[in-house]
Amino acid sequence: MNRAMFAAASGMAAQQTNLEVIADNLANADVAGFKGAVASFADVNAGGSLGLGTTPTGRHAIFAQGKLMKSGGPFDIAIDGAGFFSVEKGGKTAYTRAGAFSRAADGSLQNADGWKLSGIAIPVDALGATVEKDGRVFIDTATKTHLAAGRIELASFPAPEHLRSLGGTLFAATRDSGSSQRFAPGGDGHPTIEFGMLEKSNVSIVESMMQILTAQRAYEANAKGVQAADEMLRIANNLHRS
Amino acid sequence: MQWMASAMHAARSQLETATHNLANVSSDGYRRAASSVALTDRGLVASEHGTFEQGAIRHTGRELDFAILGEGQFRVGKDMTRNGAFVTDRNGFVTDDRGRKLIGATGPIQLTAGTTVAADGAVLREGCIVNRIALPSGTKLQSGALEASNVNAVGETLEILTAQRAFETAQKVLVAIDDTRQKAVNDVVRLK
Repeated sequence: MNRAMFAAASGMAAQQTNLEVIADNLANADVAGFKGAVASFADVNAGGSLGLGTTPTGRHAIFAQGKLMKSGGPFDIAIDGAGFFSVEKGGKTAYTRAGAFSRAADGSLQNADGWKLSGIAIPVDALGATVEKDGRVFIDTATKTHLAAGRIELASFPAPEHLRSLGGTLFAATRDSGSSQRFAPGGDGHPTIEFGMLEKSNVSIVESMMQILTAQRAYEANAKGVQAADEMLRIANNLHRS
Repeated sequence: MQWMASAMHAARSQLETATHNLANVSSDGYRRAASSVALTDRGLVASEHGTFEQGAIRHTGRELDFAILGEGQFRVGKDMTRNGAFVTDRNGFVTDDRGRKLIGATGPIQLTAGTTVAADGAVLREGCIVNRIALPSGTKLQSGALEASNVNAVGETLEILTAQRAFETAQKVLVAIDDTRQKAVNDVVRLK
């Protein structure tokens, strides 16, 4: 009975994990650049057919493209295709698909949390700026127009699914993801940069709601398993009567 | 009496199988174990065997998700699995969630620049087939989808109820036999 009870309990724990991931996805469904995650599970077998329940085997982000939407920010950029913006803060480098940047006093482009877009500085006298599809940044000043001001480069990884989530839309490189490769956007079949657009999260609310219902029912069914095992223990205890 | 004890053992095995199945209702590629109880000269004996019903195909849109339609399994490292959720590692090798390499017809499948896996499992480099996800002939592969566990929660809940009631019945019979014996012992003593 104990084996049955622990197997059912492992199922409950798995559904709990599952629900946590789905809830996190749902909570961030409106966050631009957010990538939904999935948890995966596999059965635990002690050799042969001795089933011992289930165990989580991992959680990884799904890097499917989110829809691009027009936005009002002066420095909103989105990646159409694979790749990440590389951002820096306090000597650390992180990678993100969220492109809602704004100009800081020192000319750097920062997101809301103060992460700076690597390699770009907008001169202080710039009145406006545009970003081309290939990542080149042009600025207008009071005296000149269309001045080149650097190029936004993107980062790619040999194994992006092994990136570590830093919470929200940020990711960090790991040993398993491999080191980042910098590349210039634009060109044949390459990802492009869309200026004045933001990438919506790739979480589907309808799908997440469905996943929640399924997880909840599965949790209930597993709880029934624990109950049944407990009930049978009670019956077994009643075998011996005084 | 031993027979009733064997019935209780069988019911317990049935419960263990059912809870194990239920626990894996979200494990992609998992195939439920079916338990059957048979009457032998040692009493009731429960045995477990695998099932081969196709699980539901869940669309994911990920390039390296594969669902097997029909027989066969993926070879990952030394093991076999029906779970087709693969990722690449930093050297481009295709691995499963636990880091086991996917083995194709000509060795581990590696995706370098310009290499892709076609929907039918062929690994193409510049238009030439260099490797292939090995599956029995007649089996189709669907990319961008996963095979969900073939566990049916309703069926397993029913199994649990059945096992529970069988266990209860066996216990009642055991108690009844025990009562009879108790009576016999007491009455025989009184007769003397």
